[in-house]
Amino acid sequence: MSDLDRAIEQLRQCRPIPELQVREICFKAREILIEEANVQIVDAPVTICGDIHGQFHDLMELFRVGGDCPDTNYLFMGDFVDRGFYSLESFLLLLCLKVRYPDRITLIRGNHESRQITTVYGFYDECIRKYGSANVWRYCCDVFDYLALGALVIGAGSSVQPTRLADGEDAETKVREAEDEVEIEVIGLGGVVTRQMSRRDAGMINSTNLTPSALPHLSSSGPAGALLTGVPGTGASGNSRGVANSNTPTNTGGAVLCVHGGLSPLIDSVDKIRLLDRKQEVPHDGAMCDLLWSDPEEIDGWGLSPRGAGFLFGADIVKQFNHLNNLTLIARAHQLVMEGFKEMFDSSIVTVWSAPNYCYRCGNVAAILELGEDNSNAVLRSGGEEVLFNRENTRRLASTYMGGSMKRGGPGRRYRVFEAAAQDSRGMPSKKPMPYYFL
Amino acid sequence: MAAPASSADKDRTVQQTDMDALVSRCSAIQTGYLTDPYAEMFLETSTPRDRRYPLINRGTYIRTTALDQIVESFLSRPYQGKKQIVSLGAGSDTRFFRLAADKSLRLLYHEFDFPQVTSRKIAAIQRHKELAAIISGFGQVGSPEDSTNAPGFQVDARAGSLRSPCYYIHPLDLRTLKPGVPLPTGIDATIPTLFISECCLIYLSPNEADDIFRWITSSFGQTSESISNGVGIVLYEPIGGDDSFGKVMIRNLSQRGIVLRTLQRYSTLERQKERMRVLGFNTGMGACDVNFIHDEWVDSKEKERIDRLELLDEREEWVLLAKHYCIAWGWVERHAPTGLADSLSFQNWSRFPLQ
Repeated sequence: MSDLDRAIEQLRQCRPIPELQVREICFKAREILIEEANVQIVDAPVTICGDIHGQFHDLMELFRVGGDCPDTNYLFMGDFVDRGFYSLESFLLLLCLKVRYPDRITLIRGNHESRQITTVYGFYDECIRKYGSANVWRYCCDVFDYLALGALVIGAGSSVQPTRLADGEDAETKVREAEDEVEIEVIGLGGVVTRQMSRRDAGMINSTNLTPSALPHLSSSGPAGALLTGVPGTGASGNSRGVANSNTPTNTGGAVLCVHGGLSPLIDSVDKIRLLDRKQEVPHDGAMCDLLWSDPEEIDGWGLSPRGAGFLFGADIVKQFNHLNNLTLIARAHQLVMEGFKEMFDSSIVTVWSAPNYCYRCGNVAAILELGEDNSNAVLRSGGEEVLFNRENTRRLASTYMGGSMKRGGPGRRYRVFEAAAQDSRGMPSKKPMPYYFL
Repeated sequence: MAAPASSADKDRTVQQTDMDALVSRCSAIQTGYLTDPYAEMFLETSTPRDRRYPLINRGTYIRTTALDQIVESFLSRPYQGKKQIVSLGAGSDTRFFRLAADKSLRLLYHEFDFPQVTSRKIAAIQRHKELAAIISGFGQVGSPEDSTNAPGFQVDARAGSLRSPCYYIHPLDLRTLKPGVPLPTGIDATIPTLFISECCLIYLSPNEADDIFRWITSSFGQTSESISNGVGIVLYEPIGGDDSFGKVMIRNLSQRGIVLRTLQRYSTLERQKERMRVLGFNTGMGACDVNFIHDEWVDSKEKERIDRLELLDEREEWVLLAKHYCIAWGWVERHAPTGLADSLSFQNWSRFPLQ
């Protein structure tokens, strides 16, 4: 067993590793990250995760629900640290996995991966508490500067292989007909399929029926594991019915941009993100700041953000950006969503939130987003990354599913909803700080 | 599991919530949300001065300034005679000292709390000459220099009581207050009176809390000849225990031994208003959650100022948290026989933006 594997084992038990080893791993991680593009290209299938915020035991729950790394290909959209009690163990575990399996896990930067924010929201204090000095915090912050700003998922299928319902089980929303392909599937708590929607089910999913109380609370040894058998796309002849003007049979889900916060008025193309010099502390304003801080909102155009950094952006901005860049979806994190995920603007953007019972106080559930593989894309895929993200190819593919009317044409999406790890598995220190209330 | 807590332990837990609130107040002051030179003086040297997260600072700010607005409205015109404030479970609250900066104010101020808490407060007053001078100087005729020499107040350190012409600290258990119980020394039932409960009555049983309301409305607010002597109450406390946030709040606090005992009965803004109506504060009443107050009661210039103090990265969490606390108020005040509007003290309370 290598030192790295031992470190992973130790961190999986939520035990910090020695300072010298942290330094070494951070150094290796930097060597890997420095080679990555500002917008890292990631092949589907991939499981996309939102904020973690140092909730280590809930991260373990995420791996239990989504599958282990490297068996599952992961993309984490930042905010690994701050707020929770175990920022250090959570971030170092993810970083060790990155060093160990660089092609099976992608880490992009969140607004909390910053020197300034971590001194306010807990990660700095946690490092001081656990190591007695700020060295480890400094090593980690140096890694933050090298994290990619976004990722582009390509090769996703337009549908997900429907999870077979257990005998006698019925999805809460069963509007699907047998021959339809499933565009959206929601696996609720305990691995229960709560929704399967085909592409022609009009309207957007807002997951409002997914409040924790509306979901059956099954035992934690539920069937989640049994449902993890691959997320292949459907057969090559699959033709999405909702696609207008499309003569070419295709089941591609198009390209998905993943970014922590959202868009920037200074960025009108993915290529412009590629031109940024990212290897620095997150600035207070400008394009890089916006990508990490902005939020979608029901407004027209751009608005000022109440967060004091980044912007608010409306449906028109998202749809135009997706159209110009041949994207079918933007996946982002950054905002607490009580139901774990929330699609907006005719499913052109989704918020994925992966910290259940955020801050041990909010009472929310969490979710991860699985994008399946597009089998028909196999030829392109074998051409390797460079060929794969060839603008012409993606544009040609995009034109087939985008149609002329901006209909929904996104990838097949499976959301797995999960709740906080059971209290007794937390092993929280006896002198743990309690979440704060006004008393 | 810990052994079942004795009732003395439970009381101590409730008393400790005051220190918690004080540390938060100091954090909000230090970050620039509030101006209050006195809070710091009540912190004991052994208490860790934690800096709170931005959303907690903001909540402390809204709670304090919303109550300030309610109090300010009560103290301002039209009625210009002497008025009275009674702070229930006042703990280390500094409101008296902040108000007393205005020496022209005609105000009688009372605080009720457990003797353990009042003793601590009195010890702080004796430690800090500045506090003692404010008490001595308030409501006194003559120059402030005179009053610092001879303390204008008496302290019974063993009992935990303090008495001055205009400021009283009463060591008493709120659970003893019910209709028929005589008024503590120094309280004047013939002048307009405002009761304040800042996260206090929520820790009593619903019946005990209701009894205090009835004690107030049966002892105050009786119409007299020519002047108003209306009585009002303002509460700041948690609401909304039925949703997932509320359930987690109840569970987390109960792990600290803190039970929000009236939460279920008064869990919504509607129920809070109904509580006022039914228990005798029936001239007017209102209730708003803290999120609404943040959005509607703070003027835009002030909002810009606090927005600049810290990055608030906890926007959604803030809204969630702030919707689980409310300010509720009610009053009873009939027109005096002379029928003069300027004899009223509470009428401006009907001008607060309502949710």
